Amino acid sequence: MKRVRTPVALVVIVFALALGTAQVRAQQTVFLELPPNLEAVAIRLDKQIMCPVCPSETLNQSQATLAKQMRAIIRERLAAGQSPEQVSGYFVSVYGESVLAEPPASGVGLAVWLVPPAGLAVGIAALALALKSMRRPQATARASAPGQPKATTDPDLERYLDEVDREFGSNPGPSRHPEGVRE
Amino acid sequence: MADLGTTSIIVALALTLYAGVTSFAGARQRNDVLVLSGQRATYASALALGIGVLALVVSFLQNDFSIRYVAEHSNLAMPRVYTWVAFYAGNAGSLLFVAFALAAVTSIAMARTPHGLGAQRPYANAVLMTILTFFVAVMLFMANPFVTLPTVPLDGQGINPLLTHPGMFIHPPMIMTGLIIIAIPFALGMGALLSGKIDDDWVDAGRVWGIVAWAMLGTGLLLGAWWAYTILGWGGYWAWDPVENAAFMPWLGLTAFIHSIMVQKRRGMFRMWNIVLINTSFALGAFGIFINRGGPVPSVHSFGASTLGWVFLLFLGVTVAVSFGLFFYRFARLRSRSRLESVLSREAAFLVNNLLLLAVAFVTLWGVVFPLISELVTGETITVGAPFYNKVNGPLLLALVFLMGVGPLLPWRHATSATIRRALAIPAALTGAVFVALLVLGVHNMIALVSFTVSSLVAASVLQEWVRGTIARRRVSGAAYPVAFAQLMATNRPRYGGYVAHLGIVMLAFGIIGSQFYNLERDIILSPGQQASIGDYEVEFIGSQSLPLADRTERTATLRVTRDGEFVRTIQAWQGFYPSFSMLSTRAAIYSTPKEDLYVMFSEVQPDGESAVFRLLVNPLVWWMWMAGPFVILGTVIALWPARQRASASVTTPVRGSPLPTGVG
Repeated sequence: MKRVRTPVALVVIVFALALGTAQVRAQQTVFLELPPNLEAVAIRLDKQIMCPVCPSETLNQSQATLAKQMRAIIRERLAAGQSPEQVSGYFVSVYGESVLAEPPASGVGLAVWLVPPAGLAVGIAALALALKSMRRPQATARASAPGQPKATTDPDLERYLDEVDREFGSNPGPSRHPEGVRE
Repeated sequence: MADLGTTSIIVALALTLYAGVTSFAGARQRNDVLVLSGQRATYASALALGIGVLALVVSFLQNDFSIRYVAEHSNLAMPRVYTWVAFYAGNAGSLLFVAFALAAVTSIAMARTPHGLGAQRPYANAVLMTILTFFVAVMLFMANPFVTLPTVPLDGQGINPLLTHPGMFIHPPMIMTGLIIIAIPFALGMGALLSGKIDDDWVDAGRVWGIVAWAMLGTGLLLGAWWAYTILGWGGYWAWDPVENAAFMPWLGLTAFIHSIMVQKRRGMFRMWNIVLINTSFALGAFGIFINRGGPVPSVHSFGASTLGWVFLLFLGVTVAVSFGLFFYRFARLRSRSRLESVLSREAAFLVNNLLLLAVAFVTLWGVVFPLISELVTGETITVGAPFYNKVNGPLLLALVFLMGVGPLLPWRHATSATIRRALAIPAALTGAVFVALLVLGVHNMIALVSFTVSSLVAASVLQEWVRGTIARRRVSGAAYPVAFAQLMATNRPRYGGYVAHLGIVMLAFGIIGSQFYNLERDIILSPGQQASIGDYEVEFIGSQSLPLADRTERTATLRVTRDGEFVRTIQAWQGFYPSFSMLSTRAAIYSTPKEDLYVMFSEVQPDGESAVFRLLVNPLVWWMWMAGPFVILGTVIALWPARQRASASVTTPVRGSPLPTGVG
């Protein structure tokens, strides 16, 4: 009996120690308070790193246990003097680049940043072309519509004329249009 | 109940198929009998789906757990009032909601559409019935809410705790109905194309329904942001989550549509472009359904996910192919009657508005699909999160706000430099004053400074229009200023309703700028009696009480707020732990003033049972964001308020040229 008791006791003690330290460790991974300027850096990092197990949430948003542990790791590392780049680099080395909320401006990620300005440029070009094709020369416009009142520069009169237009029916202005009546 | 429900869906499917076929045939053959029959079948399908809705609601109220959907989304402990929310909490129920909403809205829209549209109306009805047939078929064959369980469980699983929030009574129905209503102007446009008679008849009805869809979808989005703010607990309201984006993109398309439709209404221009815009908006809506239920992109909204993705992708593909195919087929007939006279005109400004809105939609779409593309192409998933959207969409949205201030000041057709100078002088001066004032007040962040200044330009230009208009009106009618202002609004409701809506958007902008650039945040563990400071506030944790209930354990934390030593208020933050969902649901304590929100979230209770983690935030100007909602709705109501019918409008109808089928509808 005695021979069994010691190993069992040892196991129990080890187990208790492990549990006990796990409790303490669990508390430690939940929270760590930093001085205000470092806390601001930590919060910014929280918003730049995704929670790997949550559907599209940053560490700042997520309530998952892993997210809390990662937030604690961020604070531990910042308190130990690491720079934000080093901290995010650490997470990238563990989880890959998909853990970053913002695509890196290199490699495949570069495409993410290049396409929007390219798209906008295409859009502007298309708009310019459309405007050009939709315009007609100003001279022809005035020549073909002799009965047309000149463009007025008085905004009050313009406003009054707008109202007159509206009183005469909300259909697209046939009365002031030179080219082709609708009927 | 289950049998009644399934039967009603089968009947509805038969009716929608019949309605679609007869409406189409009736339109093609100019056969009034077929058209009328199709329309009546449409009404009947709405009735059948309504019965299905009632059957499901009654099943919930009766706790009929033999129906799988009821067992999955409610339990005995659920307060009865949440039955409404549980109804659309899951995929099958929300499909039933969507189908019923589409049938009902189609019935109303087709009944109210003027007869003068000729063949366009039955064609539009046919298009809508085709879409409805799709939804009902998907529901019947793949996601029937009335599927029964082989053995009846004693209790259900319960409603997702995130949904037990007042916002959930309106946010999902608003979003879903708003998205569905996009189908109406879409179908009207398609109806015009199908009938071959392409002029501007569909524009009046298209404009009204487009604005209704826009307002509902926008309200739904704002409500969703409010829900996220108060219940998700991280102190923010928008995360550029894929499902948020999925509803945002059609809204952007609709914004472009309701603006450029004004040009078609007024000058008969942009006919091709408006078809493109409404097709794109509807396609984005279809894409949204695919994202929301297909699950290719993970999201916080995953409670709506299912395996139906490919079905909706197919629907999207067919929609785009048919709508744009028809557009190109009729392209030649769509030429506008008028020409653009000047680049410096309101018409051109609307085109720039469209460009910017579509650019934002494009960037958002790109961000949503890029992770899928990167995974397909390289095997590596690149995450595209909020920082990307903020950096790229931010400047585009700011440019839009600027345009919102300048555009309405441009006259139609042609603006001289003198007109522009006269229109912009006062607003520019006021804006300059605001800029200086902000600098003096300590706003040094460049982006915030520019954003605030641009937003105030909009407010200044709207104010100028109102003041000048009221003065001019008063000169004419001699009434007192407030009466003159009311008269002014009444004589041009679309324009002044639009101004009110623009002011609402400015309020939204203020709220976003304030809370994005000047918020304060900290997480802290507090024991009862301890206090923490944030901004001007001191928050003392008094204590918490717990309340165990049947399906959850609730805890309420009471906190005392003082500012600069003066007592302000006692606030309470709430949390509920739901063991069956392994979820902690929270309600933040929010002390809201027009200047800023003090936001306290009560999170993890520590092992000692007393102290807890609190997240404290000060969010400036958020109050203005929520106030923007009623303002935009008011603007919409003003813009849509019908004016007295003029006799002249009906005179033009018979003169329109091609022979009309008589007695249609």
